[in-house]
Amino acid sequence: MAVMRMGYMHVRVTDLAEAKDHYANTVGLYQTLEQDGRVYYKGWDEWDHHSVVIEEGGVGYVKCGFKCEKPEDVSDIETKAIAYGYPVVRMVAGENPEVGDGIRVTLPTGHQIEFYSQMTAWGLEVGTHNPDAFPRHMVGIGAPRLDHALLWVDDVAGIEKFFMDCVGMWATERVQTSLDDDAHTIATWLTIGESNHDIALLEAPENKIHHFAFEMRGWNDILHAADIFSMDDVPIDIGPTRHGITRGTTIYFFDPAGNRNETFSGGYRCFRDRPTVVWTPDQLGKAIFYHSRELNDRFLTVAT
Amino acid sequence: MPKLTVEPGDVTVDLLDDETILEGLYRNGFAYRIGCRRGGCAICKVDLLQGEVIYNRPVADNVLTESEQTEGTCLTCRAVAVTDVRIALREDNLRRVSSLMSLYAATRTG
Ligand code: FES
Ligand SMILES: [Fe+2]
Repeated sequence: MAVMRMGYMHVRVTDLAEAKDHYANTVGLYQTLEQDGRVYYKGWDEWDHHSVVIEEGGVGYVKCGFKCEKPEDVSDIETKAIAYGYPVVRMVAGENPEVGDGIRVTLPTGHQIEFYSQMTAWGLEVGTHNPDAFPRHMVGIGAPRLDHALLWVDDVAGIEKFFMDCVGMWATERVQTSLDDDAHTIATWLTIGESNHDIALLEAPENKIHHFAFEMRGWNDILHAADIFSMDDVPIDIGPTRHGITRGTTIYFFDPAGNRNETFSGGYRCFRDRPTVVWTPDQLGKAIFYHSRELNDRFLTVAT
Repeated sequence: MPKLTVEPGDVTVDLLDDETILEGLYRNGFAYRIGCRRGGCAICKVDLLQGEVIYNRPVADNVLTESEQTEGTCLTCRAVAVTDVRIALREDNLRRVSSLMSLYAATRTG
């Protein structure tokens, strides 16, 4: 398996001080570096140097990175992406602080996706020698790790094919216009390992980021996170609730710049021979928000 | 205390000093189509028909461009009225979600 996981998400924020307060004190990430107007964070259950990068000025997506197991895996994706016709450039070690050599692919939507195989090791907050179950002085919601992102794209099928053919992902769930084989794909949830999704794509008129998500340790922590959001006056978009798609429990909320974040937990294990789940548009409400069974007026209209 | 009037419906509420238009309307028991409440998603834009607003926190220029501002677009989750203002919602209506909040909004001191 070439790619292991989404390694980092890099977004813009309008006010760095407010965003730092959010990601450190509310989300509970650990700051590992501040340099050139960018701040780097990791969750307590992550061992690489960073998984979230915020950059002052504007709002929205800058890029994300997927970590591969070996340098050869990066070269393999490079060859396939070039053959697929997407622009690829090489990036050298240090171009992203603490990240090794890699490649940057620009999707036709303009989204930049990086692939790399090395990042400076930082270590788990609980260590690896006789570790405790979680850090004794967790801050805020204590998000353990970055999990996935949902991108807004204008060509779901084309970009899904890139992630499948060049990156080795497969679709665990899809929303499509009908149950027929030639149906149009409206949204897709793509995974590389056994989690429900590492990246999802949703058809939209603009190419943006809908949200990026942190994996929590269960429903209790999701509910606790919602309590913290009320204490910290974080705008909650929806939740705590469950997604029909993936069965994951969730809260959507916004950072101080308006980027949508998610706390996500649950879902089922996915093996590559698992059949893809299909949803049709008439059931979209239940698919997205399993309890209210209707979309709010933000899910399909609000992104950065 | 600036007065805010909203079209359609010609609803008027009092805004507190330093309160955004969004905060003032929700404090008065109204709702309309909003998103992030943090100036990022642009969904809360309205037309500013009369009066003056300021932005006392940074707003991304890809969310609200300078020309939009001069042409009278107002980002309600970040805009603070400095005079009486009149706005028009875009393809949206103000919904009263709590008549109690409307009734007692004026009793709030903070
Ligand atoms: S609600 Fe998102 S910009 Fe105002
Ligand atoms: Fe998600």
